[in-house]
Amino acid sequence: MAGVLVFGEAVAGILTPASLEAATAGAELAAAVGQPLSGGLIGRNIGDAVAAFLGGGMSTLYIVDDLQFEPYIGERYAGAATAVIEHVAPSVVLFPHSLNTREWGSQLAARLQTHLVTDCVRLDVDGADVVLTKPIYGGGILAEYVVASTPVMATLRPGAFAASTPGAQGHIVPLDIPFIPARVTVLDETIDEPPSGPTLRDAKIVVSGGLGVGGRENWRLIEDVAEALGAAVGATRAVTDLGWAPASQQVGLTGASVAPDLYIAIGISGAVQHLAGIGRAKTVVAINRDPEAPIFTRARYGAIGDAREIVPAFVERLRELRA
Amino acid sequence: MHIVVTIKQVIDPLVPPAHLRLNAATRQVDAPAGIAPAMNGYDANALEEALKLVGVHGGTVTVVSLGGDSVRDTLRRGIALGATGALHITDPGYVGWDALDTAHVLAAAIARYTPDLVLCGRQASDTDAGQVLFGIAEALGWPVVSPVRAIHSIEETGVVVDRLTERGSQKLLVALPAVLGISSEANEPRTPAVRSVMAANRARIPTVTRSELGLNAEEGRVVLRRLSRDVHDSHAEIIAGATPAETGAKLADALHAAGLI
Ligand SMILES: Cc1cc2nc3c(=O)[nH]c(=O)nc-3n(C[C@H](O)[C@H](O)[C@H](O)COP(=O)(O)OP(=O)(O)OC[C@H]3O[C@@H](n4cnc5c(N)ncnc54)[C@H](O)[C@@H]3O)c2cc1C
Ligand SMILES: Nc1ncnc2c1ncn2[C@@H]1O[C@H](COP(=O)(O)O)[C@@H](O)[C@H]1O
Repeated sequence: MAGVLVFGEAVAGILTPASLEAATAGAELAAAVGQPLSGGLIGRNIGDAVAAFLGGGMSTLYIVDDLQFEPYIGERYAGAATAVIEHVAPSVVLFPHSLNTREWGSQLAARLQTHLVTDCVRLDVDGADVVLTKPIYGGGILAEYVVASTPVMATLRPGAFAASTPGAQGHIVPLDIPFIPARVTVLDETIDEPPSGPTLRDAKIVVSGGLGVGGRENWRLIEDVAEALGAAVGATRAVTDLGWAPASQQVGLTGASVAPDLYIAIGISGAVQHLAGIGRAKTVVAINRDPEAPIFTRARYGAIGDAREIVPAFVERLRELRA
Repeated sequence: MHIVVTIKQVIDPLVPPAHLRLNAATRQVDAPAGIAPAMNGYDANALEEALKLVGVHGGTVTVVSLGGDSVRDTLRRGIALGATGALHITDPGYVGWDALDTAHVLAAAIARYTPDLVLCGRQASDTDAGQVLFGIAEALGWPVVSPVRAIHSIEETGVVVDRLTERGSQKLLVALPAVLGISSEANEPRTPAVRSVMAANRARIPTVTRSELGLNAEEGRVVLRRLSRDVHDSHAEIIAGATPAETGAKLADALHAAGLI
């Protein structure tokens, strides 16, 4: 059976939002090429994630739920995924893009000697071809790839595809995978303290600050705006380098890619490496003292002036409006 | 300890994408005139890790690169930074999009050195693909881990590394020989001394061709069909009040009126 196969990802037993986005993108692709959609989910104690992923509309969901898949080791996930692919023989395989999928998905592609396009933001069907589009050169340029080897493989950038409301329920096929010896041993696992409030990658609103905030003592301004809006806090690399905010809050080429409905950039110049992380933000708002700052070429709304004077009144009015 | 570091030459990432030239016919991206190509940033981190390791354990570091004649300059920089030797691999058919093809060529060259460790960048800053290292590991039959933010130690049983995860990191023991994809958190690469740069200019860099490595041309797995600019319409509506405070309040009102908050 040919078709589209979408792998989901469960983190601590919970399906990542990007998994349902990938399922929706997979369903649209499957419909466009008139082929079935199946799913794959690997992990341990993933019952809840399986139920959530089934809502993605696949006719069959292959699950591999076993002790050996916790903690995560790329080699084992690639091994289990190989078994799923042998069952499905798909023509297209999709993954939500994450640090783990880009490791085991890439190992899988190398094992199958096929080409994986990472971090795609668009999928199109053109005749017999699936066209995979991804940003290159830090985000300023889009490249469209067509893969000739099979299966065609792609990881999809979180936030670039909409997740549809849960659809028809398919059936579950559990697969038994023999123990996979691994040459990698997990000695320890560190989980960073999650920031309170929404996470950067999933937030509907992100409020970010740059050097223009003027100092560590003013960082509270950014947090106040975020708090008033129930938003996640982001920062430029210049700011995280100075330690005003933790590195995990860095947005941009070498930080997080965010895809909020609203991105508020305060005291941020809009360097290309920063803009690379907000390519999928729907509406950008900038507060900056310099009307020539490049951030205004990306912003839909702007305010020009000293952030330290504008922001307190902005926060006060936001609180009134949301009360 | 024998370490091979793979190094890709890229357009300097500091060049704003708007200044890059898209060649529709060749589907190549070209740097503006006069901009020298650079060593991929993550590869510079990989080289720095390799130099630190041989500093502690002794051994050699070989830098290898597949590409046109210009990559010899980047290899020379690797030598100036402290690499023991360099290898330039040429392939008239090299385009850089087909990661597995690139990996097969690099793996064939790497195998000649029988290294304990291959350090690559987690991804190249031009295509941000992050694929070639996995192809190399597969071709050599070695384990691979990426992105690595720290190499802790070399033990009897393997190399101990920190790998980044979405939620934090994992400390892993990876059996050697292995391939690691190094991330920028690992270190701050050194800059070469003037004297080393001059010495590197005299270093001999051998060249090997794809066919000398015993490899035939492969059927292309991927085609880059089209390049375009990622444009956003850019008409910021400027909200202004008589005072900064009024500006702040009016901005909040404007976002509210637009249904954004
Ligand atoms: C390989 C590489 C990767 C990088 N990756 C990233 C990345 O992932 N993320 C990232 O953010 N950067 C990254 N950078 C750094 C990037 O190039 C910029 O240096 C950085 O984004 C600038 O941060 P900034 O906007 O806070 O500071 P600046 O560029 O200094 O801008 C400060 C802005 O604040 C304004 N301002 C000053 N005072 C006030 C005031 N009182 N009120 C209002 N506005 C004021 C100024 O007009 C200016 O526009 C990377 C760089 C390289 C080379
Ligand atoms: N042409 C090349 N020559 C040497 N190393 C390369 C080449 N292409 C890719 N690499 C290595 O593989 C890593 C990942 O590259 P990529 O898969 O292109 O993102 C890079 O950081 C380099 O270490």
